[in-house]
Amino acid sequence: MRRQIVALLLLALAPALLAAFFHPRRPSWRTDEITVAVAQSWKDALWLDARPRDAFEHAHVPGALLLNEDEWNDLLPAVLDAWNPDRNVVVYCSSLSCQASRDVARRLREEAQFSRVFVLQGGWEAWEKTHR
Amino acid sequence: MGENAPMKCFARILGIAVGAVFLIAGAMKAWNPAQFASDVQNYRLLTWTSVVMVALYLPWLEIVSGAALVFGIARRGSIAICTGLMLVFIGALISAKLRGLDIDCGCFGHTGPHGITWPLLRDALLLAALLFLLFRETRAPR
Repeated sequence: MRRQIVALLLLALAPALLAAFFHPRRPSWRTDEITVAVAQSWKDALWLDARPRDAFEHAHVPGALLLNEDEWNDLLPAVLDAWNPDRNVVVYCSSLSCQASRDVARRLREEAQFSRVFVLQGGWEAWEKTHR
Repeated sequence: MGENAPMKCFARILGIAVGAVFLIAGAMKAWNPAQFASDVQNYRLLTWTSVVMVALYLPWLEIVSGAALVFGIARRGSIAICTGLMLVFIGALISAKLRGLDIDCGCFGHTGPHGITWPLLRDALLLAALLFLLFRETRAPR
């Protein structure tokens, strides 16, 4: 059984290596999650709020634009207007346990070809904690 | 005396069904490893570098092991790998549930219902099937 296991593990390695170099949707090796402190140190960052509209309207990071998946097509043009390739983009959602910011960050990379997109660790909850 | 035919047939069909699940799940993840990396990252168990390695390798391990199980090649090895993978998946899902993470399973790409309760039940069933196959295979003469 051990030989079979090793053979199967090695067999899976070949396509995985090919995917690492040539897959059009391969993930970036660069860490894309940042803390509030790091994000704040970027004076020219473009902040994007991936939460639902009502949460954004209740409160948001100063200067942040709303960009959630529910209103993607309506909201994206404003983001594209504000963006330039030299600006770091910081996407956040409600807390550590949400996934909207990751989904928005991925779509920005894949669909809008944004290159410097980061996800805020802890989201809005972490931001609020450091600004109480 | 040899094993009875209906049981042998049942085990074969079960192996094909479970292998097919792994094959399909692996193919859906391999289609978009960036999406899968994002799903793995949501569990918050690994560093990003480890997440990327998992996102690139794990789908192919599922495909290779699933295909081996479907076609009855290297059965013991493929059942052992699938069982190990299933234990890891269940462990990750339980950990996410205990930490109250509001995430998608990521088991079949981004299809299926939101949440992790249903995937946990499905994986428990698959694990039971795999343990049955593993028990049978390790008892059978080489």
